[in-house]
Amino acid sequence: QEFRFGSCRAKGVDLQELWEAFWAVKDAVQAQDNITSARLLRREVLQDVSDAESCHLIQALLKFYLNTVFKHYYKRTVEFRTLKSFSTLANNFIAIKSQLRPSQENEMFPVTERARGRFLLFQRAFRRLDREAAVTKAFGEVDILLTWMERFYRL
Amino acid sequence: GAVAILPAPQNLSVHSTNMKHLLIWSPVIIPGETVYYSVEYQGEYESLYTSHVWIPSSWCSLMEEPECDVTDDITATVPYNLRVRATLGSQSSAWSTLTQPFNRNSTILTPPGMELTKDGFHLVIELEDLGPQFEFLVAYWKREAGAKEHVKTVSSGGIPLHLVTMEPGAAYCVKAQTFVKAIGRHSAFSQAECVEVQGEVLPL
Repeated sequence: QEFRFGSCRAKGVDLQELWEAFWAVKDAVQAQDNITSARLLRREVLQDVSDAESCHLIQALLKFYLNTVFKHYYKRTVEFRTLKSFSTLANNFIAIKSQLRPSQENEMFPVTERARGRFLLFQRAFRRLDREAAVTKAFGEVDILLTWMERFYRL
Repeated sequence: GAVAILPAPQNLSVHSTNMKHLLIWSPVIIPGETVYYSVEYQGEYESLYTSHVWIPSSWCSLMEEPECDVTDDITATVPYNLRVRATLGSQSSAWSTLTQPFNRNSTILTPPGMELTKDGFHLVIELEDLGPQFEFLVAYWKREAGAKEHVKTVSSGGIPLHLVTMEPGAAYCVKAQTFVKAIGRHSAFSQAECVEVQGEVLPL
């Protein structure tokens, strides 16, 4: 059982553990999201991602979630149950990200550019919102991210 | 007079077997008093991004025993910092932190227990129930020269499973190992056990 994002591999992650952590806080988090007209992880970001692109894209997304979304959301996490779920997600994202080795060869440039383009769509949508609202929405969309990641999880 | 400072717990260590992680430490002894302990943890994320954040352990706040099952707290395969402090009345000691962060991929995996039974010509196996994180690889073969080894993956223990329909008069041997998805590791194989259709279970 591992994630296979193209040539990238990530072991030692039990996807069920991530889902259970997110389900534990999903209602509370999504209830705080008042902007129902916008979606950050839109279809254009995650649909028809090639295997070759997938490693570059997941690395960028996990890095953004760790450095921006989780970091800011942490300050508002006072309830221990949320804090625990939050910690499980954040630490498993680190476990995955630390194993990803996206290829840097020159001929991969078109692929990395497509992946970058998808990530920029997500990041621009995030920046269009007020910071607090954007962090809440992004955290509430972790199920969209996990659903997409599940496609690359090999039993 | 000067108020004696409550000493912090010492000699912290983690004993981890089959994904059960037990934090233990030397008790703080205050004659005639009951000292209580609280445990907190921090994953790699917290130590990198929010180092001031420590999370209370699920089961160990103000408890008497000098040990804590932190299994439910360790939920990713990354290094975790763990710390303990003693409390007596209104006084609390300093925190004592585990010298080396703990990573669950260091857990000791033991070969699984297994029970073989015969139901007529059917060989049935029941594997030790080690929890949802465990899967099993079962290897079985007919005990004869050049016999082919068959392998079956079993997704959970504690449930009898039909392994093979045996030929009369033949002997069959079975061994098993665990696999833990969350850390991507196997245990060693168990000792093989053999059974004859009419005979009793024979150790190899």
